[in-house]
Amino acid sequence: MSELQHLIKMANQIAQNIGIGASEEETIDKVENHITLFWAPPMRKKICDYIETGANDLHPFATKALLKIRDKL
Amino acid sequence: MLEYFDPRTDLDSHIDYGTPPSTFDPTPVADLISLKIDGNDIKVPVGTSVLAAAAMAGINIPKLCATDSLEAFGSCRLCLVQIEGRRGYPSSCTTPAEDGMLVKTQNEKLATLRRNVMEMYISDHPLDCLTCPVNGNCELQDMAGSVGLRNVRYGYEGDNHLDAEKDTSNPYFTFDPSKCIVCSRCVRACEETQGTFALTISGRGFESKVSPGEDQAFMDSECVSCGACVQACPTATLTENSIIDKGQPDHSVITTCAYCGVGCAFKADMKGDEVVRMTPWKGGKANRGHSCIKGRFAFSYATHSDRLITPMIRESIDQPWRKVSFDEAFEFAAARIKHIQGKYGRLSVGGITSSRCTNEETYLVQKMVRTAFGNNNVDTCARVCHSPTGFGLKTTLGESAGTQTFDSVEKSDVIMVIGANPTDAHPVFGSRMKKRLREGAKLIVVDPRSIDLVDGPHVKADYHVKLLPGTNVAFVNAMAHVIIDEALEANAFIEDRCDVEAFEKWKSFIGDIRHSPEATEKNTGVPADIIRNAARLYASGGNGAIYYGLGVTEHSQGSSAVMGIANLAMLTGNIGREGVGVNPLRGQNNVQGSCDMGSFPHELPGYRHISGQEVRSQFEKAWNVELDPEPGYRITNMLDAAVEGTYKGLYIQGEDIAQSDPNTHHVEAALRGLECLIVQDIFLNETAKYAHVFLPGTSFLEKNGTFTNAERRISPVRKVMPPLPGLEDWQVTMGLSKALGYEMNYNHPSEIMDEIAALTPTFSGVSYKRLEEEGSLQWPCNSASPMGTPIMHVDEFVRGKGFFALTEYVPTDEKVNRKFPLLLTTGRILSQYNVGAQTRRTPNSTWHSEDIFEIHPQDAEDRGINNGDRVALSSRSGTTTLHALITERMQPGVVYTTFHHPNSGANVVTTDNSDWATNCPEYKVTAVQANKVTSADVTSEWQVQFEEFSKTQLAYVEND
Repeated sequence: MSELQHLIKMANQIAQNIGIGASEEETIDKVENHITLFWAPPMRKKICDYIETGANDLHPFATKALLKIRDKL
Repeated sequence: MLEYFDPRTDLDSHIDYGTPPSTFDPTPVADLISLKIDGNDIKVPVGTSVLAAAAMAGINIPKLCATDSLEAFGSCRLCLVQIEGRRGYPSSCTTPAEDGMLVKTQNEKLATLRRNVMEMYISDHPLDCLTCPVNGNCELQDMAGSVGLRNVRYGYEGDNHLDAEKDTSNPYFTFDPSKCIVCSRCVRACEETQGTFALTISGRGFESKVSPGEDQAFMDSECVSCGACVQACPTATLTENSIIDKGQPDHSVITTCAYCGVGCAFKADMKGDEVVRMTPWKGGKANRGHSCIKGRFAFSYATHSDRLITPMIRESIDQPWRKVSFDEAFEFAAARIKHIQGKYGRLSVGGITSSRCTNEETYLVQKMVRTAFGNNNVDTCARVCHSPTGFGLKTTLGESAGTQTFDSVEKSDVIMVIGANPTDAHPVFGSRMKKRLREGAKLIVVDPRSIDLVDGPHVKADYHVKLLPGTNVAFVNAMAHVIIDEALEANAFIEDRCDVEAFEKWKSFIGDIRHSPEATEKNTGVPADIIRNAARLYASGGNGAIYYGLGVTEHSQGSSAVMGIANLAMLTGNIGREGVGVNPLRGQNNVQGSCDMGSFPHELPGYRHISGQEVRSQFEKAWNVELDPEPGYRITNMLDAAVEGTYKGLYIQGEDIAQSDPNTHHVEAALRGLECLIVQDIFLNETAKYAHVFLPGTSFLEKNGTFTNAERRISPVRKVMPPLPGLEDWQVTMGLSKALGYEMNYNHPSEIMDEIAALTPTFSGVSYKRLEEEGSLQWPCNSASPMGTPIMHVDEFVRGKGFFALTEYVPTDEKVNRKFPLLLTTGRILSQYNVGAQTRRTPNSTWHSEDIFEIHPQDAEDRGINNGDRVALSSRSGTTTLHALITERMQPGVVYTTFHHPNSGANVVTTDNSDWATNCPEYKVTAVQANKVTSADVTSEWQVQFEEFSKTQLAYVEND
């Protein structure tokens, strides 16, 4: 599995697990917070660059969180 | 003369009191009983024997069958005393001290009786004291001297045991029955201390003899070679072979074992600078005088001929190594790292700290990465074992650590073991747990396999939740559902101690029918009534304690499972006192410590996030450097980036990721992609075969420092022999850092600990001086709790209010299908440790010379696999071959192996799935197929390449 494939899988796993019982907005915030706290900047950049290419294999909450992260890069 | 003896403070670990100290809590003092022994007044707690009371008063009554690690037995008749107003001569070991007793321990009559007893013993004992291995350390010899035995009237003719044959089957100790006095101390040690029941006394009267198993040799019996019998033997009957070979030690140093996370205290018995024996230290608060086969016997690796003690460098991994000075190696490594950072950027290098090294060494490695490398790319092998514990417990309870002491298990009423196998992986704690179970505590085992605890001698699980690998979260949710469903929760505790809003939300979540055991049965494979009964027992059986291991953490939902476990403890009020708690059993000796010391890329020492301006500035000031506020790469991310070509330099201290990390193909590709791999280790481990710089490391015997065990206990590691390479590991890191341009100047590891204490609030009361005084300290240790903190979250959770986290069961992506129909789970066995680098280089390999593939009879039959067949084990990641063992310990559909031998390639098969929150790899769930290999000597392609590569790399060292 390539680095990017890994990052996609990781982001999707976070989105699936972190927002149990939370609203969409809260979940997106939690995903954003988790990735900001635990992912090294090059990982964040890599997956944000990927979003630019029109990624369609990301969990919708992950995509929305990453868009917020991209804006802060 | 001591008049009032408080066993909580006055016990001297150097003294054998003859019987165990009373567990009675002597408060108020008025509840103590007073007696007079040989005219001396002494006050002792109720339950103290006359023998122990005398010892507490400084009076040594002769004894042979009594020792204070074992219950009184009363067979040797040496400890006879006279008590005023009582008839006869009772044995003082079996007589409880009573208020107002007047005891006489010495007079003419008692002396005659004792001499008569000794005379009988000696009439059937070899008189070879001068050439006996325990000459100078023999209780029988001491007692013969003490009672004044001068002749043996019976003579030495007639029937005797002097020609009894020795049993030398165990590589570590010899059983010489000719020296045996049948005191049963070994038999009782095997039962009471170890809990294995491998020994018995066979025969009656004159025929009585110690027998392993059913008159078997030690190696053929159930003996686990823990050494408890050898420790207990008062004669030369059970003696370490190292003592037989080398003689008695000339001095001893107390230190801490470098194997598992129990952190046993040992006396390193020395002759000059050579260790001749390791004996478990009675004063050790983690082990209380017990040991296992690894810590007790497997220390010869430290001086094994494979040790590499000279630094080596090479341009590329297809070249032979060149031996150089430390300085040349430092310069070479530093130049390469700087070149890489110049070419690929500041973030292209990093380091991995070791859970086998000391706190001080680990602290220095992370400090060097954050200062000299200028980034936060530092991680530790805890990533691949207990990182979910850190995340899960911090989220729910507020602190990334276990809540109890090991002593706490003595107060537990219900013990729930989830995904842990303490009798193999944490054997000394396993023995302490078994002792409590024999006293009547209830046991719930949650494990896909039938581990030894499920059905052992005098220990049987009340419920074995034999779930399918990967379904822990479904299980903990079902447990919680039952507790809510049947209103068994501890409402007062929750209202008082927990975040009530979060609890209410969680309660409505967990109350949903989808979490009921009836609904989760299809996932877990466990009948609902077993879970209902287990939940009722845990919630209402008294003090409930949870012990868990890597079977919980090493999953795609490891962090969720840890949070679910913490939820269970809070829900039932099982936290904040003795006997309860959430207890992660740590794999390696210093997993807790390496995490505490800031080894994670996002945290500074003391679990404080690197983005925090206030904390960061404290470190910036102390270290005189500007720190990167962003988190760095975790190990798994480093490897991905290395394969991608953006990560090029790595410094690894005391870890062997090529063997221990999952998906070996991926790890090897990453290591091959590095332009500078610096490995610091005591051997040329699997990872070092890909290295450009080899820095020789030191074993725990060669340096000073501290380890922190699974109960947060910081214990001293003491240097007993000089470092073979000339430098200790912390000095090596300092040298490398200096060459990189960041100078550190410590003269002794105590100065490093002082720096840690100054910068870490939970360590502020820790110093080498305090450790010297107290023996060990459990953090948090600071002005709020100067004596350390045995039990956490007593009045309040560290985070304030306990937080109930919502944990939905999300199945792993790793699924069985027609091609890979079995689930592989991996683990450890008793005699080997982790990647085996240490234990494989000791006679421990006599017990486990290769990793074995375990499979259920039904699955074996379906595949035509017989015991001993070579089996090809394939997953989506790779293939390896192993020899099969058919066993009903497995359930149908689940197979198992260990990863102690590099050529087994267990991790060639495991995948790169990982925990959602921490990237802890999912070692415990891999979909596999197993097929019989027709020719016995055929191995997998990877194994053939591995052998070839290993041979070449070893030749590069030898050819130098």
